[in-house]
Amino acid sequence: SLHANDTLTSHLSRELENGRLFRLIAKLGTINERPEYEGNPKWSDVGDRYILKLFRDYVFHQVNAEGRPVVNMGHILECMNKLDAGSTQQIKLVSRDEQDCFIVSYKELKKQVEAAFQELIKPESTK
Amino acid sequence: MDGDWEEVGRLLLPPSGPQGITQPSSTFAFDTSQELLWEGNQFGRVWSFYSTELQKYTSFKCGDGPVRQLLFHEKGIIALCPRSVHMALRRGPPIWHIVHEEMKELACMSFTSRGNTEILVAGLQDRMFTIDVEKGTITRQIPSSDHYTIMKRSRYICAATGTGEIHLLDPKTFELQETKFKAHALRINDMDAQHDFVVTCGYAMRQGQIPMLDPMVNAFDLKNLKQMHSVSFPSGAAYVRLHPRLSSTIIIVSSYGQMHEVDLLNPDSSKFKQANVLSYISMVDMAPSGEALVLADTDCNLHLWGSRAKIRFAEISTPVEFADPEETAAQVDWNTETPLSSVGMPYYRENLLSAWPSHLIFDVGAPPPKFDQHFMSKLNTASFGYYGRVPTNVRRNQVEDTRALEKAPINLKTPKFLSEKARETTNDTAGERRIS
Repeated sequence: SLHANDTLTSHLSRELENGRLFRLIAKLGTINERPEYEGNPKWSDVGDRYILKLFRDYVFHQVNAEGRPVVNMGHILECMNKLDAGSTQQIKLVSRDEQDCFIVSYKELKKQVEAAFQELIKPESTK
Repeated sequence: MDGDWEEVGRLLLPPSGPQGITQPSSTFAFDTSQELLWEGNQFGRVWSFYSTELQKYTSFKCGDGPVRQLLFHEKGIIALCPRSVHMALRRGPPIWHIVHEEMKELACMSFTSRGNTEILVAGLQDRMFTIDVEKGTITRQIPSSDHYTIMKRSRYICAATGTGEIHLLDPKTFELQETKFKAHALRINDMDAQHDFVVTCGYAMRQGQIPMLDPMVNAFDLKNLKQMHSVSFPSGAAYVRLHPRLSSTIIIVSSYGQMHEVDLLNPDSSKFKQANVLSYISMVDMAPSGEALVLADTDCNLHLWGSRAKIRFAEISTPVEFADPEETAAQVDWNTETPLSSVGMPYYRENLLSAWPSHLIFDVGAPPPKFDQHFMSKLNTASFGYYGRVPTNVRRNQVEDTRALEKAPINLKTPKFLSEKARETTNDTAGERRIS
């Protein structure tokens, strides 16, 4: 029965992270690219939410040297974990036209995501 | 400008779009606290270049139209566009962005008497604004009868008008001082003010009709409020900077790249250098340390001058923050067997972002929405499903309360006891009961 317990524990530890990561991705999914934001200066290229768009590309739209898409679960997990914890690590975000280049910490990204999400769940108070 | 000054770096500006058009910069400036050179282009974008190698650091959009001027604050950089004022961290993310309907043609700005916490912005318009830098709000609007193109702060805020005059504004009240200097006959091309001096280069009419650069630099003494004798510069003075550390020394540059270093109080002794440019010089700036000078030419090159051994930009520089080196992400198999916990969490002590607010309670398991038969009948069939026009009465992805829909048509009568039925028949005559 000790052995059974061990199996249970290892199974549990494997699935432990799923809920947390899913909630995080749910938050990101609800705030990114909403059509209501069209014309909102906060999400334009001079606004403070612009980095969230670039971060989405940084995480999910990786490419290799030939420009082919790279799908790396490890990269996604690592980015998500660092975003969740608000790590002070700085990353470089580049826009699609390669004209804009930002150096941003996960901590700042986390703050922006949280602010954007709070705005979504109570939109009337922020307007 | 010591004897060993030479060109230490040259940079062709990055193209301003994927089409690859390079445009001359509209403004540039050395950072006051980091080893960065900032450049603003015609399309409202700001680039920064690190160190003497002029390595690309950050870039971001700060507004529309040409970037007119850049100012530096401990927290970030302030950029002026004709219709907006933008402040961003040196790393790029914006701090604030101000747009106002009365901001029509801004051209210049300056810090005021309140250290670096307030700026005054003005331009070719009848109103000036003061902005609280910390809060990012407009604090005052000041009517102004004169239009300004250049502003520099020293003892006063020195403002150059479009007609060749220099106005002195009180840095506290922004009142126009009585003394005005008529510096040039046509307009002022460049101006610098520092300590007790203001120096200008400008245009005058030559032979009646061609505007030409004055062959002299005019200087004004702000302590005694009077004009000093001007420094002659036969080849036409286009740009002028006061040396940040040698308070009476000026550097004059012609449009062909001839550079003179002259002492205002002793104009006979001067040092001379020639920059190797194939076109005209379009702008000049000197680093706050006095150890570097940058010239821009109309072929979109930036020429960095200084002494190879000593060159640095800022008096006291704080290190530039770079992106941390990318650790190679662990290769994780994308299959159902791989646990998502295989990449560890970094150390943390704050609330996680994934923490979900507890007051959000969602109702799940409602029946799926039903499609309107009438609507379905109008759709065309394709291999992937149906397609057709969207009905105009609902929004895209509008939420439907399918439970309520499902409940509404239910009009099953609750079974009744015999006694109730008996009562009902008697009540029916009174017509009280509604039939649903």
